[in-house]
Amino acid sequence: MNITEIIIVSLIKIVFVLGITLLTVAYLVYFERKIAAWAQNRIGPNRVGWQGILQPFADVFKLLLKEDIVPEKANRIVHAIAPMIALFVAFTTYAVIPIGPNVNIFGYDISLVVADVNMGVLYVLALTSLGVYAITFAGWSSGSKYSLLGGIRSSAQMISYEISMGFSIGGVLLLAESLRPIDIVNSQAGLWNAIIQPIGFITFVVSAFAETNRLPFDLPEAEPELVGGFHTEYSSMKFAGFFLAEYANMIIASAMIVTLYLGGWHLPFEQSLGLSGSWLTVFQITSFFVKMGAMLFFFIWVRWSIPRFRYDQLMNLGWKVMFPLSLINIIWVAVIIMITN
Amino acid sequence: MPKIIIDGNEIEFKQGQTIIEAAKDHGIEIPHFCWHPKLSVSGNCRMCLVEVEKMPKLVIACATVASEGMVVHTQSPKTIAARNAVMEFLLINHPLDCPICDEAGECKLQDYAYQHSIGESRFVEEKVHKDKRVKIGPRVMFDAERCISCSRCIRFCDEIAKDSELTFTRRGDRVTITTFPGEELDNPYSMNVVDICPVGALTNADFRFKARVWDMSHTNSICIGCSRGCNIEIWVRNNEILRLTPRHNEDVNSYWMCDHGRLNTFKFVNSETRVNSPHIRKEGQLIRVSWDEAFAEAASRLRTFGKDQIAVIGSAYATCEDNYLVSKFAKNILGTGNLDFIRHIDYSFADDILRKEDLTPNSLGAELMGVKPLKNGLNVEEIIKSIKEGKIKALYLIEDDILTADPEIETYLAKLELLIVHAANFNQSTNFADIVFPAATYAEKNGTFINFQGRLQRIRPAVATIEVDRALEGMALSRLDKFGTKFDRWAQGKHFDARATWKILTSLSNAFGSRWKYKMAEDVFDEMVSSIPELKGLNYDIIGDLGVQLKLEKVNVV
Amino acid sequence: MAQTSDSLKKRKKDLTFWQKIYIPEIAKGLALTFKNMIRPKFTMEYPEEKFIPPPSYRGRPVLVLEETGEERCVACGLCSRVCPALAIEVQAAETEREKERYPQKFEINMLRCIFCGLCEEVCPEEAIVMSKDYELAFTNREDAIYGKDKLLTPVSQLKDRIEFLRKYK
Ligand code: SF4
Ligand code: SF4
Ligand code: SF4
Ligand code: SF4
Ligand code: FES
Repeated sequence: MNITEIIIVSLIKIVFVLGITLLTVAYLVYFERKIAAWAQNRIGPNRVGWQGILQPFADVFKLLLKEDIVPEKANRIVHAIAPMIALFVAFTTYAVIPIGPNVNIFGYDISLVVADVNMGVLYVLALTSLGVYAITFAGWSSGSKYSLLGGIRSSAQMISYEISMGFSIGGVLLLAESLRPIDIVNSQAGLWNAIIQPIGFITFVVSAFAETNRLPFDLPEAEPELVGGFHTEYSSMKFAGFFLAEYANMIIASAMIVTLYLGGWHLPFEQSLGLSGSWLTVFQITSFFVKMGAMLFFFIWVRWSIPRFRYDQLMNLGWKVMFPLSLINIIWVAVIIMITN
Repeated sequence: MPKIIIDGNEIEFKQGQTIIEAAKDHGIEIPHFCWHPKLSVSGNCRMCLVEVEKMPKLVIACATVASEGMVVHTQSPKTIAARNAVMEFLLINHPLDCPICDEAGECKLQDYAYQHSIGESRFVEEKVHKDKRVKIGPRVMFDAERCISCSRCIRFCDEIAKDSELTFTRRGDRVTITTFPGEELDNPYSMNVVDICPVGALTNADFRFKARVWDMSHTNSICIGCSRGCNIEIWVRNNEILRLTPRHNEDVNSYWMCDHGRLNTFKFVNSETRVNSPHIRKEGQLIRVSWDEAFAEAASRLRTFGKDQIAVIGSAYATCEDNYLVSKFAKNILGTGNLDFIRHIDYSFADDILRKEDLTPNSLGAELMGVKPLKNGLNVEEIIKSIKEGKIKALYLIEDDILTADPEIETYLAKLELLIVHAANFNQSTNFADIVFPAATYAEKNGTFINFQGRLQRIRPAVATIEVDRALEGMALSRLDKFGTKFDRWAQGKHFDARATWKILTSLSNAFGSRWKYKMAEDVFDEMVSSIPELKGLNYDIIGDLGVQLKLEKVNVV
Repeated sequence: MAQTSDSLKKRKKDLTFWQKIYIPEIAKGLALTFKNMIRPKFTMEYPEEKFIPPPSYRGRPVLVLEETGEERCVACGLCSRVCPALAIEVQAAETEREKERYPQKFEINMLRCIFCGLCEEVCPEEAIVMSKDYELAFTNREDAIYGKDKLLTPVSQLKDRIEFLRKYK
């Protein structure tokens, strides 16, 4: 492939991934509302289109048409930048997530990842920790005590949980001997990391919840106490930006969990199905999305089942439980490597 | 002074007083229906039973004369039981009419049913039925079922109105009130029976079903029907006067007022003929204009006349404050001595109970305020004569109708070059007026009247004009006034764009360039006090609700 | 206070090992919500499907219209007096009928009404009762003031409520 082809292919991949993500985000909101309704024995949105299928678009248009209100005491520039950072971080992370093995289209061998970076995992960690700036900026620049409290809570929370998250990933990296997401996936072709290192899996999932500010760790938003937390003073499209980012982050978190612990596109019995090459690829891509969907469902399911933690409980859990557990996990993996070698 | 002991309190009494009177003087209320301080004792309701030590049975407090050393119990178990029994008897045949009874809310039977009755009836038989909705007189309705046969109404007619019209007929539970054959309850004081009837048996035909008493505000004021100046309360709902009731003032009207005062002195306040905002005659028509325009017009036109061409007529209907400024305006601003007011005398109206021949409330006041011709000035008759002769070219008429003084003047009024009238309602004089200022009525302003005895009494605003907020002005507020908003239909009562005469004159004289600074009627009064020796040392608080007697040299204007 | 902290301590101590590590409890919670997701739904799809309230329901207050075509109300004004929201305005007038009084004007401001039912409770004539009507929407303030035309409701439509009142009031 020459350089133009590479650019064209990359552009196609970007558009494809971006389109899928936006659509998924929109429908994720829809499903969140549906699942919430079901959990409460309700029906959920069903008025816009068949079974409410067009609800996300109605929501988007509503948000678009709303008046953009900026508080008088706000720092206007930072206030406007914050949601952009949130969106930027959320969408750029997708670049390194592989959704399937390499495929051969029109004679080109194309990897199903936008950017096959060899330190992809680090890239993800780096970007997600940038996400905290969006929230902190939003909280600070709004000029409201609720927002500020939300922003501060969220930075403390993210920093705390990033540590256990990083250490949990440590175990995965040890096993895969690579920082490349594709390598990590391929290393799980036989046995998923979730089974080899269950403690690491649990700490990672919990940290992922905390990093995405989802219940039971949605303290930065905490409606009852902080009105809306860092986005109290946001409206219209700026608010929508945060909203989108939250759901995009959920998708990334699910994709990361699938990639790191649930074998990416691999299924344990895939070879025994006897599928031919391209069918196998299709099957694998589907399996990736199914796994991701299941993780997303899990995210939503948890939200409507478990109440919010108190702030001190959150910190206790992060530092006194999750952090030591992730260390134990590394030792466990090290022991396994020692034994198998 | 001799003493008796009531409920453990030793109290003094005047020789000859009954127990109930002695108790009342010391603020102890003994429940009663038939006793009234101003009527003879009949002792037939038995509600006032009290226990007196060493007496074999309970006695009625209204007919038992107190004597030295008596020990009376008004709250002993025996008295309470007796009261319960009396109430139970009274209620046996009393209809459950409260929902349709105008007395509800100010009914003694209702009150006592709460205070002195167990509230249960053991009577299961059918109640006695009697006539309802009887027009017992032109102004009074009678409901025989509700009557508790206290005979207060009979005694009132006999003793106060001095016109025996009512009596009991039949006996036992069939007893009822009726008029003597060929008679009606139509004496000039007949409606007082409505006030003294402890229940809703006698009700006000004019006020019938107009409003519940608890929906109205009530304001202490003075009747303007004649120079007696009976003390009254003005009852208002939704900024509309619905009834007047007499207010006790032993020095003026006791508990009473006449039917004329009660019925004929408030309807003009809310009537269709009220002048609403100033008017100027343009091309033969009275046109509504702004206050400023009216003031400017009045001032510029008045300036064009010589002092002798102008006459000012004050008013015995207006307050002292108004008349004081009228006189000041005439003398200082217009510089004219042609100043007087019109007398309204009708000897046929007078009687020796309350009614006086002078049909205005404030003749003495007008005179004391200096509304009378100066040296070389003209009095009313002369003013009228001069108008006819064409010598007087401009007339300033305050709150009165000059045609009542001389109907013939109608043809000459057109001759006047300028006629300015302060009027609450359009009348025959405003038909000829060039400028009409809307005057606030007695029910819309503060002020004072001096009655025929030389007693200075206060009136207070009960109805709000357009520029007045009831609450801010400290006016009486009903529950509805307190909580109504501009979106409630029951709070949108008519507010007229009218001002008190003193206020109009203040603005007008400022249009002439003088600097009068009266902000409220009290400011005018304070100035009156310093310039009129008879008022020395007085203020509104001292006058209070019952008024003060002035020492005037001449006490009869007639 | 002492008592609460005691009971808290006791509670913590009483937790079993599995409860303490929390994860099985989370699983239980998740199972519960999942069970509910597949249970039948309660939602009533409103404009198509309407809720018919039981007799104890307090919808908008209405005036009882007798079978003879006369209103029961005698315009005593007690409902107006008791109404904590000052929603009711009554103007009485005289009628030739035996009851002497009738409401010449009877208005309830539905924007003021708080559906407390005190008017119904105080009415000596059982003339004002709470209906089952809950569909109240207006586009301007004036429309929200219901006069006699909208308030008078034939007694046959109010049987439920009147029976309920006689039984429990
Ligand atoms: S009508 Fe009234 S005042 Fe007269 S006897 Fe009966 S209750 Fe007494
Ligand atoms: S006697 Fe005179 S002052 Fe008294 S109520 Fe009658 S008219 Fe009014
Ligand atoms: S309480 Fe009953 S009778 Fe009285 S006004 Fe209200 S509805 Fe009519
Ligand atoms: S229900 Fe309550 S608020 Fe409504 S009209 Fe009746 S008393 Fe007033
Ligand atoms: S008040 Fe004494 S008997 Fe009536």
